[in-house]
Amino acid sequence: MKAAPTLDGRIRIDLESKLDWMVMQSISHDALAVGVDLADRLGNFLGEEALKGDWEDFVRPDLKQGFSEQLEYIEKVLGALNVDAREPVFIVKEDAEIWYGGLNQARLALEERYHFDSENPETMSPGRRTAWFRSQFYQMLQSLLLDFLMRD
Amino acid sequence: MSETQSATLEATSLDVPWNVVVHDDPVNLMNYVTWVFVKVFGYSEIRATKLMMEVHQAGKSIVWTGAKERAELYTQQLQGFQLKTSMERSSE
Repeated sequence: MKAAPTLDGRIRIDLESKLDWMVMQSISHDALAVGVDLADRLGNFLGEEALKGDWEDFVRPDLKQGFSEQLEYIEKVLGALNVDAREPVFIVKEDAEIWYGGLNQARLALEERYHFDSENPETMSPGRRTAWFRSQFYQMLQSLLLDFLMRD
Repeated sequence: MSETQSATLEATSLDVPWNVVVHDDPVNLMNYVTWVFVKVFGYSEIRATKLMMEVHQAGKSIVWTGAKERAELYTQQLQGFQLKTSMERSSE
């Protein structure tokens, strides 16, 4: 897989194998593979109990919807690609926040699940190591988005 | 307690400023946190970076203090950007 900024101000991701394709499709899967969803995990951190009633009623549904829309958008873009023709993924400036958010959800969920800390990947079990590599890949994409599309 | 006293106490309680606190986490990138502070609060890059460093080094930072309603709005926005955010009554 190759990912790089283009001269016309987009990020281009070339999926060179089925494995690359699987990694991209793992974004949503990773983001959702935690028992407690992200909105609730953030709500658990809110502070005073007295604040939680309004938060549950008014904020939580908006957060859940926003997070779901990010993942749905990414799935839709990936689902529309012709994988056999090795069609690249292009991310434009207007969509950068959506992609960043989806990738962040995936990384937050992986961290929640595996607590990587500063563990050496060479000592990890195979499943844990592949999750760590996905997290690193997502982070690399996020840095590209941040540096070339999100920050003016 | 008279109705007037009760109303005054309630108004005083509502006037207490609230802190919006962002907590450190091992996932959110430092540049991203700075970017969020600029976007949400309109802070300068320098101020936003200082607050981000405080989050990173001290584990948390009070990023805004003021009226409860506005604090709730900022908290929601920061949570929307997936930052661990809490609210607390300001002691000042």
